[in-house]
Amino acid sequence: MGVTRVLKAYSIEEILDVMEKYGEKVELLAGGTDLLVDIRAGKNKGSVIIDISDVKEMKKIEIGEDDIVLGALTTFTDIAENDYLKENVTGLWKAAKSVGSPQIRNMGTVGGNICNGSPAADIVPPLLVLDAKLNIKSRSKQRKIKLKEFYMENGSRNLRSDELLYSISFTKSRDKNIRIGFEKLGLRNALAISRISCSVYAIIGENNRIENIRIASGALGKYPLREYALEKFLKDKNLNDGLIEEAAEIFSHEVKQRLSGRSSCPYKKEAVKGIFKKAISFEGE
Amino acid sequence: MINIKLNVNGKDYDLEIEEDLRLIDLLRDRLGFTGTKEGCGEGECGACTVILEGKTVNSCLLLAIQAHGKEITTIEGIGKEDDLHPIQESFLENGAVQCGYCIPGMVLSAKALLDKNKNPTRKDIREAISGNLCRCTGYEKIVDSIEKASKILQQRGSESHEQL
Ligand SMILES: Cc1cc2nc3c(=O)[nH]c(=O)nc-3n(C[C@H](O)[C@H](O)[C@H](O)COP(=O)(O)OP(=O)(O)OC[C@H]3O[C@@H](n4cnc5c(N)ncnc54)[C@H](O)[C@@H]3O)c2cc1C
Ligand code: FES
Ligand code: FES
Repeated sequence: MGVTRVLKAYSIEEILDVMEKYGEKVELLAGGTDLLVDIRAGKNKGSVIIDISDVKEMKKIEIGEDDIVLGALTTFTDIAENDYLKENVTGLWKAAKSVGSPQIRNMGTVGGNICNGSPAADIVPPLLVLDAKLNIKSRSKQRKIKLKEFYMENGSRNLRSDELLYSISFTKSRDKNIRIGFEKLGLRNALAISRISCSVYAIIGENNRIENIRIASGALGKYPLREYALEKFLKDKNLNDGLIEEAAEIFSHEVKQRLSGRSSCPYKKEAVKGIFKKAISFEGE
Repeated sequence: MINIKLNVNGKDYDLEIEEDLRLIDLLRDRLGFTGTKEGCGEGECGACTVILEGKTVNSCLLLAIQAHGKEITTIEGIGKEDDLHPIQESFLENGAVQCGYCIPGMVLSAKALLDKNKNPTRKDIREAISGNLCRCTGYEKIVDSIEKASKILQQRGSESHEQL
Protein backbone atom coordinates (compact mmCIF):
# COMPACT_ATOMS: atom_id res chain seq x y z
CA MET A 1 0.00 0.00 0.00
CA GLY A 2 1.02 3.59 -0.37
CA VAL A 3 2.61 5.62 2.40
CA THR A 4 0.46 8.56 3.49
CA ARG A 5 2.42 9.88 6.48
CA VAL A 6 5.86 9.49 7.99
CA LEU A 7 6.36 10.67 11.55
CA LYS A 8 9.45 10.71 13.68
CA ALA A 9 9.34 9.78 17.36
CA TYR A 10 12.03 10.45 19.95
CA SER A 11 10.46 8.80 22.98
CA ILE A 12 8.32 5.79 23.88
CA GLU A 13 5.52 8.17 24.85
CA GLU A 14 5.50 9.72 21.40
CA ILE A 15 5.44 6.31 19.69
CA LEU A 16 2.58 5.04 21.83
CA ASP A 17 0.58 8.24 21.27
CA VAL A 18 0.83 7.91 17.50
CA MET A 19 0.09 4.18 17.65
CA GLU A 20 -3.03 4.86 19.66
CA LYS A 21 -4.15 7.59 17.31
CA TYR A 22 -3.65 5.73 14.03
CA GLY A 23 -4.29 2.16 15.20
CA GLU A 24 -4.02 -0.47 12.49
CA LYS A 25 -2.68 2.02 9.96
CA VAL A 26 0.67 2.25 11.73
CA GLU A 27 3.86 0.43 10.81
CA LEU A 28 7.04 1.09 12.78
CA LEU A 29 10.35 1.79 11.09
CA ALA A 30 13.36 0.61 13.10
CA GLY A 31 16.35 -0.07 10.85
CA GLY A 32 14.16 -0.19 7.75
CA THR A 33 16.05 -3.07 6.13
CA ASP A 34 12.88 -5.13 5.80
CA LEU A 35 10.36 -2.31 5.69
CA LEU A 36 11.98 -0.28 2.92
CA VAL A 37 12.10 -3.38 0.72
CA ASP A 38 8.40 -3.94 1.51
CA ILE A 39 7.45 -0.33 0.78
CA ARG A 40 9.19 -0.53 -2.56
CA ALA A 41 7.23 -3.67 -3.41
CA GLY A 42 3.98 -2.12 -2.14
CA LYS A 43 3.84 -4.77 0.59
CA ASN A 44 4.02 -2.57 3.67
CA LYS A 45 1.35 -3.38 6.24
CA GLY A 46 0.74 0.21 7.40
CA SER A 47 0.33 3.51 5.55
CA VAL A 48 1.46 5.64 8.51
CA ILE A 49 5.13 5.03 9.17
CA ILE A 50 6.68 5.98 12.51
CA ASP A 51 10.44 6.29 12.43
CA ILE A 52 11.56 5.01 15.84
CA SER A 53 15.25 4.73 14.93
CA ASP A 54 16.24 7.65 17.19
CA VAL A 55 14.51 6.53 20.37
CA LYS A 56 17.65 6.36 22.53
CA GLU A 57 16.25 4.37 25.43
CA MET A 58 15.56 1.42 23.12
CA LYS A 59 19.17 1.28 21.95
CA LYS A 60 21.11 -0.46 24.68
CA ILE A 61 22.83 -3.62 25.79
CA GLU A 62 22.63 -4.04 29.56
CA ILE A 63 24.73 -6.76 31.14
CA GLY A 64 23.11 -6.81 34.58
CA GLU A 65 23.68 -8.96 37.66
CA ASP A 66 21.03 -11.52 36.79
CA ASP A 67 19.78 -10.61 33.33
CA ILE A 68 21.00 -9.41 29.99
CA VAL A 69 18.71 -6.90 28.30
CA LEU A 70 18.82 -5.92 24.65
CA GLY A 71 16.85 -2.83 23.65
CA ALA A 72 14.72 -3.61 20.60
CA LEU A 73 16.74 -1.09 18.57
CA THR A 74 20.07 -2.82 19.28
CA THR A 75 21.71 -3.36 15.90
CA PHE A 76 23.51 -6.50 14.76
CA THR A 77 26.72 -4.42 14.77
CA ASP A 78 26.13 -3.45 18.41
CA ILE A 79 26.02 -7.17 19.28
CA ALA A 80 28.93 -8.11 17.02
CA GLU A 81 31.10 -5.43 18.69
CA ASN A 82 30.21 -6.48 22.25
CA ASP A 83 33.06 -8.44 23.84
CA TYR A 84 30.98 -9.76 26.73
CA LEU A 85 28.46 -11.33 24.36
CA LYS A 86 31.26 -12.68 22.19
CA GLU A 87 32.83 -14.46 25.16
CA ASN A 88 29.75 -15.54 27.04
CA VAL A 89 26.83 -15.75 24.64
CA THR A 90 28.77 -16.91 21.62
CA GLY A 91 25.84 -18.33 19.65
CA LEU A 92 24.01 -15.01 19.76
CA TRP A 93 27.15 -13.16 18.76
CA LYS A 94 27.79 -15.53 15.84
CA ALA A 95 24.23 -15.11 14.61
CA ALA A 96 24.55 -11.30 14.64
CA LYS A 97 27.87 -11.49 12.78
CA SER A 98 26.39 -13.79 10.17
CA VAL A 99 23.73 -11.32 9.07
CA GLY A 100 23.80 -9.85 5.55
CA SER A 101 26.60 -7.33 5.09
CA PRO A 102 28.26 -4.66 7.23
CA GLN A 103 25.73 -2.10 5.99
CA ILE A 104 22.75 -4.32 6.87
CA ARG A 105 24.29 -5.08 10.29
CA ASN A 106 24.74 -1.35 10.93
CA MET A 107 21.07 -0.67 10.21
CA GLY A 108 19.13 -3.83 11.04
CA THR A 109 17.84 -4.28 14.58
CA VAL A 110 17.06 -7.22 16.82
CA GLY A 111 13.49 -5.97 17.33
CA GLY A 112 12.95 -5.74 13.58
CA ASN A 113 14.35 -9.23 13.07
CA ILE A 114 11.93 -10.68 15.65
CA CYS A 115 8.88 -8.64 14.61
CA ASN A 116 9.24 -9.06 10.88
CA GLY A 117 8.55 -12.71 11.51
CA SER A 118 10.64 -14.32 8.79
CA PRO A 119 11.21 -18.06 9.31
CA ALA A 120 14.88 -17.39 8.57
CA ALA A 121 15.39 -14.52 11.04
CA ASP A 122 18.91 -15.27 12.25
CA ILE A 123 18.84 -13.76 15.72
CA VAL A 124 15.73 -15.71 16.73
CA PRO A 125 17.11 -19.28 17.12
CA PRO A 126 19.82 -18.22 19.62
CA LEU A 127 17.28 -16.14 21.54
CA LEU A 128 14.93 -19.14 21.59
CA VAL A 129 17.58 -21.37 23.12
CA LEU A 130 18.36 -18.65 25.67
CA ASP A 131 14.64 -18.82 26.54
CA ALA A 132 14.40 -15.06 25.99
CA LYS A 133 11.47 -12.94 27.09
CA LEU A 134 9.94 -10.06 25.18
CA ASN A 135 8.99 -6.87 26.96
CA ILE A 136 5.98 -5.44 25.10
CA LYS A 137 4.40 -2.04 25.72
CA SER A 138 1.22 -0.27 24.75
CA ARG A 139 -0.60 2.78 26.11
CA SER A 140 -2.78 0.69 28.33
CA LYS A 141 -0.38 -1.94 29.58
CA GLN A 142 2.96 -3.60 29.65
CA ARG A 143 3.40 -7.34 29.35
CA LYS A 144 6.15 -9.93 29.21
CA ILE A 145 5.89 -13.06 27.11
CA LYS A 146 8.32 -15.75 26.18
CA LEU A 147 9.77 -15.45 22.71
CA LYS A 148 8.55 -18.98 21.94
CA GLU A 149 4.98 -17.75 22.51
CA PHE A 150 5.39 -14.86 20.08
CA TYR A 151 4.95 -16.77 16.84
CA MET A 152 1.52 -18.29 16.55
CA GLU A 153 0.44 -21.47 14.79
CA ASN A 154 -1.63 -19.53 12.23
CA GLY A 155 1.46 -17.62 11.13
CA SER A 156 0.62 -14.35 12.92
CA ARG A 157 2.50 -12.69 15.76
CA ASN A 158 1.42 -12.28 19.36
CA LEU A 159 1.53 -8.47 19.08
CA ARG A 160 -1.45 -6.13 18.83
CA SER A 161 -1.41 -3.16 16.46
CA ASP A 162 -1.04 -0.71 19.36
CA GLU A 163 1.87 -2.65 20.85
CA LEU A 164 5.58 -2.16 20.53
CA LEU A 165 8.43 -4.53 21.31
CA TYR A 166 10.48 -2.57 23.82
CA SER A 167 13.26 -4.96 24.84
CA ILE A 168 14.39 -8.57 24.95
CA SER A 169 15.86 -10.16 28.07
CA PHE A 170 17.37 -13.46 29.07
CA THR A 171 18.99 -14.91 32.16
CA LYS A 172 22.67 -14.26 32.62
CA SER A 173 24.24 -17.54 33.51
CA ARG A 174 27.47 -18.01 35.36
CA ASP A 175 27.66 -21.76 34.89
CA LYS A 176 31.07 -22.51 33.41
CA ASN A 177 29.69 -25.57 31.64
CA ILE A 178 27.30 -23.70 29.39
CA ARG A 179 27.93 -23.80 25.66
CA ILE A 180 25.95 -21.81 23.12
CA GLY A 181 26.44 -22.56 19.44
CA PHE A 182 25.04 -21.25 16.17
CA GLU A 183 25.51 -22.29 12.57
CA LYS A 184 23.85 -21.31 9.36
CA LEU A 185 23.99 -22.34 5.79
CA GLY A 186 23.51 -20.32 2.69
CA LEU A 187 23.23 -16.71 1.75
CA ARG A 188 20.05 -14.72 1.76
CA ASN A 189 20.37 -13.96 -1.87
CA ALA A 190 21.39 -17.38 -3.05
CA LEU A 191 18.66 -19.94 -3.65
CA ALA A 192 16.26 -19.20 -0.82
CA ILE A 193 15.93 -22.95 -0.44
CA SER A 194 19.43 -23.19 0.98
CA ARG A 195 18.86 -21.17 4.13
CA ILE A 196 18.88 -23.15 7.33
CA SER A 197 20.14 -22.24 10.78
CA CYS A 198 20.50 -24.02 14.08
CA SER A 199 21.36 -22.88 17.58
CA VAL A 200 22.18 -25.09 20.56
CA TYR A 201 22.38 -24.25 24.26
CA ALA A 202 23.77 -26.97 26.45
CA ILE A 203 25.08 -27.52 29.95
CA ILE A 204 27.66 -30.25 29.70
CA GLY A 205 28.57 -31.77 33.05
CA GLU A 206 30.88 -34.55 34.19
CA ASN A 207 31.56 -37.35 31.70
CA ASN A 208 30.12 -35.09 29.01
CA ARG A 209 26.65 -35.63 30.38
CA ILE A 210 24.09 -33.29 28.81
CA GLU A 211 22.47 -31.83 31.92
CA ASN A 212 20.30 -29.40 30.03
CA ILE A 213 19.79 -28.72 26.36
CA ARG A 214 17.73 -26.42 24.18
CA ILE A 215 17.83 -26.49 20.39
CA ALA A 216 16.20 -24.14 17.88
CA SER A 217 16.15 -23.96 14.10
CA GLY A 218 15.55 -21.33 11.44
CA ALA A 219 13.83 -21.82 8.08
CA LEU A 220 12.56 -25.30 8.88
CA GLY A 221 8.98 -24.19 9.52
CA LYS A 222 6.62 -21.19 9.36
CA TYR A 223 8.80 -19.42 11.90
CA PRO A 224 11.94 -20.29 13.92
CA LEU A 225 11.20 -23.33 16.08
CA ARG A 226 12.32 -25.07 19.25
CA GLU A 227 13.23 -28.66 18.39
CA TYR A 228 11.68 -30.39 21.40
CA ALA A 229 11.91 -33.97 20.12
CA LEU A 230 15.62 -33.62 19.60
CA GLU A 231 16.09 -31.99 23.02
CA LYS A 232 14.24 -34.84 24.67
CA PHE A 233 16.39 -37.42 22.91
CA LEU A 234 19.66 -35.76 23.96
CA LYS A 235 18.93 -34.78 27.54
CA ASP A 236 20.86 -36.80 30.18
CA LYS A 237 22.88 -38.68 27.58
CA ASN A 238 26.65 -38.44 27.23
CA LEU A 239 27.72 -36.17 24.41
CA ASN A 240 29.99 -38.00 21.97
CA ASP A 241 30.37 -38.42 18.23
CA GLY A 242 28.12 -41.47 18.07
CA LEU A 243 25.33 -39.67 19.90
CA ILE A 244 25.66 -36.63 17.65
CA GLU A 245 25.36 -38.85 14.56
CA GLU A 246 22.28 -40.52 15.98
CA ALA A 247 20.71 -37.18 16.89
CA ALA A 248 21.41 -35.79 13.40
CA GLU A 249 19.45 -38.70 11.91
CA ILE A 250 16.55 -38.02 14.26
CA PHE A 251 16.59 -34.34 13.34
CA SER A 252 16.64 -35.22 9.66
CA HIS A 253 13.67 -37.54 10.09
CA GLU A 254 11.77 -34.81 11.96
CA VAL A 255 12.45 -32.31 9.17
CA LYS A 256 11.41 -34.85 6.55
CA GLN A 257 8.03 -35.27 8.22
CA ARG A 258 7.57 -31.56 8.82
CA LEU A 259 8.35 -30.48 5.28
CA SER A 260 6.97 -33.48 3.44
CA GLY A 261 5.60 -32.59 0.04
CA ARG A 262 7.61 -29.39 -0.25
CA SER A 263 10.21 -28.96 -2.94
CA SER A 264 12.80 -27.91 -0.34
CA CYS A 265 12.34 -31.12 1.66
CA PRO A 266 14.90 -33.46 0.02
CA TYR A 267 17.60 -30.82 0.33
CA LYS A 268 16.80 -29.54 3.81
CA LYS A 269 16.46 -32.96 5.41
CA GLU A 270 20.03 -33.74 4.35
CA ALA A 271 21.55 -30.29 4.93
CA VAL A 272 20.17 -30.04 8.44
CA LYS A 273 22.45 -32.86 9.59
CA GLY A 274 25.64 -30.95 8.84
CA ILE A 275 24.36 -27.70 10.32
CA PHE A 276 23.27 -29.42 13.50
CA LYS A 277 26.57 -31.27 13.91
CA LYS A 278 28.48 -28.02 13.58
CA ALA A 279 26.20 -26.13 15.96
CA ILE A 280 26.53 -28.79 18.65
CA SER A 281 30.30 -29.01 18.30
CA PHE A 282 30.40 -25.32 19.34
CA GLU A 283 33.00 -24.37 16.78
CA GLY A 284 34.47 -20.89 16.93
CA GLU A 285 33.86 -20.49 20.63
CA MET B 1 6.01 17.67 3.35
CA ILE B 2 8.37 17.82 6.32
CA ASN B 3 11.45 19.77 7.27
CA ILE B 4 14.76 18.11 7.89
CA LYS B 5 18.21 19.35 8.80
CA LEU B 6 21.29 17.37 8.04
CA ASN B 7 24.98 17.80 7.35
CA VAL B 8 26.41 16.35 4.16
CA ASN B 9 30.16 16.40 3.58
CA GLY B 10 30.61 19.13 6.19
CA LYS B 11 27.87 21.42 4.94
CA ASP B 12 24.55 22.05 6.71
CA TYR B 13 21.27 21.75 4.84
CA ASP B 14 17.79 22.72 5.93
CA LEU B 15 15.24 21.26 3.54
CA GLU B 16 11.59 20.67 2.97
CA ILE B 17 11.04 17.17 1.58
CA GLU B 18 8.35 14.64 0.79
CA GLU B 19 7.78 12.42 3.79
CA ASP B 20 8.58 9.13 2.08
CA LEU B 21 11.66 10.36 0.20
CA ARG B 22 14.55 7.90 0.42
CA LEU B 23 17.97 9.13 1.47
CA ILE B 24 19.48 8.14 -1.89
CA ASP B 25 16.96 10.32 -3.75
CA LEU B 26 17.61 13.24 -1.45
CA LEU B 27 21.36 12.96 -2.02
CA ARG B 28 21.20 12.48 -5.78
CA ASP B 29 18.17 14.45 -6.94
CA ARG B 30 17.88 17.24 -4.39
CA LEU B 31 21.52 17.81 -3.46
CA GLY B 32 23.26 16.64 -6.64
CA PHE B 33 25.60 14.13 -5.01
CA THR B 34 25.33 11.81 -7.97
CA GLY B 35 28.45 9.84 -7.02
CA THR B 36 26.09 7.80 -4.87
CA LYS B 37 24.78 5.13 -7.26
CA GLU B 38 21.60 3.11 -7.27
CA GLY B 39 22.01 -0.49 -8.33
CA CYS B 40 19.49 -2.93 -6.91
CA GLY B 41 17.48 -0.57 -4.69
CA GLU B 42 17.07 -3.28 -2.09
CA GLY B 43 20.18 -3.54 0.02
CA GLU B 44 22.00 -6.22 -1.96
CA CYS B 45 24.65 -4.43 -4.01
CA GLY B 46 26.11 -1.59 -1.92
CA ALA B 47 26.40 0.87 -4.85
CA CYS B 48 24.41 3.37 -2.76
CA THR B 49 26.69 3.11 0.31
CA VAL B 50 27.24 6.31 2.31
CA ILE B 51 28.70 6.89 5.76
CA LEU B 52 26.09 7.94 8.33
CA GLU B 53 27.48 8.97 11.74
CA GLY B 54 30.66 6.98 11.10
CA LYS B 55 28.95 3.79 9.88
CA THR B 56 28.29 2.55 6.36
CA VAL B 57 24.65 2.25 5.37
CA ASN B 58 22.71 1.54 2.18
CA SER B 59 21.11 4.87 1.30
CA CYS B 60 18.45 3.03 -0.75
CA LEU B 61 17.14 1.43 2.47
CA LEU B 62 16.82 4.61 4.54
CA LEU B 63 14.18 7.28 4.48
CA ALA B 64 15.71 10.75 4.38
CA ILE B 65 13.93 11.56 7.64
CA GLN B 66 16.12 8.98 9.41
CA ALA B 67 19.10 11.22 8.69
CA HIS B 68 17.54 14.23 10.41
CA GLY B 69 20.13 15.92 12.64
CA LYS B 70 22.93 13.64 11.42
CA GLU B 71 26.20 13.76 9.51
CA ILE B 72 26.63 12.02 6.19
CA THR B 73 29.69 11.51 4.02
CA THR B 74 29.28 10.68 0.34
CA ILE B 75 32.05 9.97 -2.15
CA GLU B 76 32.14 13.73 -2.94
CA GLY B 77 33.23 14.30 0.67
CA ILE B 78 36.20 11.94 0.41
CA GLY B 79 38.28 13.65 -2.25
CA LYS B 80 38.08 16.02 -5.19
CA GLU B 81 39.17 15.24 -8.73
CA ASP B 82 42.34 17.29 -8.29
CA ASP B 83 42.86 16.20 -4.70
CA LEU B 84 42.13 12.50 -4.41
CA HIS B 85 42.07 10.58 -1.16
CA PRO B 86 44.86 7.96 -0.83
CA ILE B 87 42.20 5.22 -1.12
CA GLN B 88 41.06 6.66 -4.45
CA GLU B 89 44.64 7.11 -5.68
CA SER B 90 45.40 3.55 -4.76
CA PHE B 91 42.33 2.22 -6.63
CA LEU B 92 43.49 4.06 -9.77
CA GLU B 93 47.16 3.10 -9.50
CA ASN B 94 46.38 -0.57 -8.93
CA GLY B 95 43.91 -0.90 -11.76
CA ALA B 96 40.99 -1.67 -9.44
CA VAL B 97 38.50 0.35 -11.43
CA GLN B 98 36.77 -1.01 -14.51
CA CYS B 99 33.24 0.25 -15.20
CA GLY B 100 33.40 2.16 -11.93
CA TYR B 101 29.80 1.72 -10.86
CA CYS B 102 30.62 -0.02 -7.59
CA ILE B 103 33.63 2.14 -6.77
CA PRO B 104 32.09 5.02 -4.77
CA GLY B 105 30.49 2.49 -2.43
CA MET B 106 33.70 0.44 -2.24
CA VAL B 107 35.75 3.52 -1.36
CA LEU B 108 33.31 4.50 1.39
CA SER B 109 33.34 0.99 2.87
CA ALA B 110 37.14 1.09 2.75
CA LYS B 111 37.18 4.52 4.39
CA ALA B 112 34.90 3.38 7.23
CA LEU B 113 37.18 0.37 7.76
CA LEU B 114 40.45 2.33 7.78
CA ASP B 115 39.00 4.95 10.13
CA LYS B 116 38.48 2.17 12.70
CA ASN B 117 41.27 -0.23 11.87
CA LYS B 118 44.54 1.30 10.64
CA ASN B 119 46.18 -2.00 9.85
CA PRO B 120 43.55 -4.42 8.54
CA THR B 121 44.30 -7.94 7.34
CA ARG B 122 43.13 -9.03 3.90
CA LYS B 123 40.37 -10.94 5.65
CA ASP B 124 39.24 -7.76 7.45
CA ILE B 125 39.22 -5.96 4.10
CA ARG B 126 37.16 -8.68 2.39
CA GLU B 127 34.72 -8.62 5.27
CA ALA B 128 34.43 -4.81 5.15
CA ILE B 129 33.56 -4.81 1.44
CA SER B 130 31.34 -7.90 1.59
CA GLY B 131 28.26 -5.72 1.13
CA ASN B 132 29.64 -4.13 -2.05
CA LEU B 133 29.20 -6.17 -5.20
CA CYS B 134 31.50 -5.70 -8.18
CA ARG B 135 30.58 -7.35 -11.44
CA CYS B 136 33.85 -6.50 -13.20
CA THR B 137 37.03 -6.87 -11.21
CA GLY B 138 36.90 -10.11 -9.24
CA TYR B 139 37.77 -8.09 -6.09
CA GLU B 140 41.46 -9.06 -5.94
CA LYS B 141 42.73 -5.67 -7.13
CA ILE B 142 40.25 -3.88 -4.92
CA VAL B 143 41.58 -5.71 -1.87
CA ASP B 144 45.18 -4.96 -2.99
CA SER B 145 44.32 -1.28 -3.34
CA ILE B 146 42.78 -1.00 0.10
CA GLU B 147 45.73 -2.84 1.63
CA LYS B 148 48.17 -0.46 -0.07
CA ALA B 149 46.11 2.58 0.92
CA SER B 150 46.28 1.48 4.55
CA LYS B 151 50.09 1.37 4.30
CA ILE B 152 50.23 4.84 2.73
CA LEU B 153 47.93 6.27 5.39
CA GLN B 154 49.99 4.69 8.18
CA GLN B 155 53.18 6.07 6.69
CA ARG B 156 51.67 9.54 6.41
CA GLY B 157 50.42 9.25 9.96
CA SER B 158 53.89 8.47 11.29
CA GLU B 159 55.54 11.17 9.12
CA SER B 160 53.22 13.82 10.48
CA HIS B 161 54.09 12.61 13.97
CA GLU B 162 57.79 13.05 13.24
CA GLN B 163 57.19 16.61 12.12
CA LEU B 164 55.55 17.45 15.43
C1 LIG C 1 20.41 -7.30 1.74
C2 LIG C 1 19.74 -7.85 2.96
C3 LIG C 1 20.33 -8.90 3.66
C4 LIG C 1 19.73 -9.43 4.79
N1 LIG C 1 20.34 -10.47 5.44
C5 LIG C 1 19.75 -11.00 6.53
C6 LIG C 1 20.37 -12.10 7.21
O1 LIG C 1 21.46 -12.57 6.85
N2 LIG C 1 19.73 -12.61 8.30
C7 LIG C 1 18.54 -12.10 8.75
O2 LIG C 1 18.02 -12.60 9.74
N3 LIG C 1 17.95 -11.06 8.13
C8 LIG C 1 18.52 -10.51 7.03
N4 LIG C 1 17.90 -9.46 6.38
C9 LIG C 1 16.60 -8.98 6.86
C10 LIG C 1 16.65 -7.77 7.82
O3 LIG C 1 17.85 -7.06 7.71
C11 LIG C 1 16.47 -8.19 9.27
O4 LIG C 1 15.26 -8.90 9.43
C12 LIG C 1 16.50 -7.02 10.26
O5 LIG C 1 16.70 -7.49 11.56
C13 LIG C 1 15.23 -6.19 10.26
O6 LIG C 1 15.38 -5.18 11.24
P1 LIG C 1 15.05 -3.65 10.92
O7 LIG C 1 15.34 -2.88 12.16
O8 LIG C 1 15.71 -3.21 9.70
O9 LIG C 1 13.47 -3.79 10.70
P2 LIG C 1 12.46 -2.82 9.96
O10 LIG C 1 12.55 -3.01 8.50
O11 LIG C 1 12.57 -1.43 10.50
O12 LIG C 1 11.10 -3.46 10.50
C14 LIG C 1 10.66 -4.75 10.12
C15 LIG C 1 9.25 -4.99 10.69
O13 LIG C 1 9.26 -5.11 12.11
C16 LIG C 1 8.45 -4.12 12.72
N5 LIG C 1 9.19 -3.64 13.91
C17 LIG C 1 10.48 -3.23 13.94
N6 LIG C 1 10.84 -2.92 15.20
C18 LIG C 1 9.74 -3.09 15.97
C19 LIG C 1 9.48 -2.94 17.37
N7 LIG C 1 10.43 -2.53 18.22
N8 LIG C 1 8.23 -3.22 17.83
C20 LIG C 1 7.26 -3.64 16.97
N9 LIG C 1 7.44 -3.83 15.64
C21 LIG C 1 8.67 -3.55 15.15
C22 LIG C 1 8.30 -3.04 11.68
O14 LIG C 1 7.09 -2.32 11.87
C23 LIG C 1 8.29 -3.84 10.39
O15 LIG C 1 7.02 -4.38 10.17
C24 LIG C 1 18.50 -8.89 5.26
C25 LIG C 1 17.92 -7.81 4.58
C26 LIG C 1 18.52 -7.29 3.45
C27 LIG C 1 17.87 -6.13 2.73
S1 FES D 1 21.20 0.26 -4.54
FE1 FES D 1 21.28 0.22 -2.40
S2 FES D 1 22.20 -1.66 -2.02
FE2 FES D 1 21.90 -1.75 -4.14
S1 FES E 1 34.17 -1.92 -11.53
FE1 FES E 1 32.34 -2.43 -12.55
S2 FES E 1 31.08 -3.11 -10.92
FE2 FES E 1 32.96 -2.87 -9.98
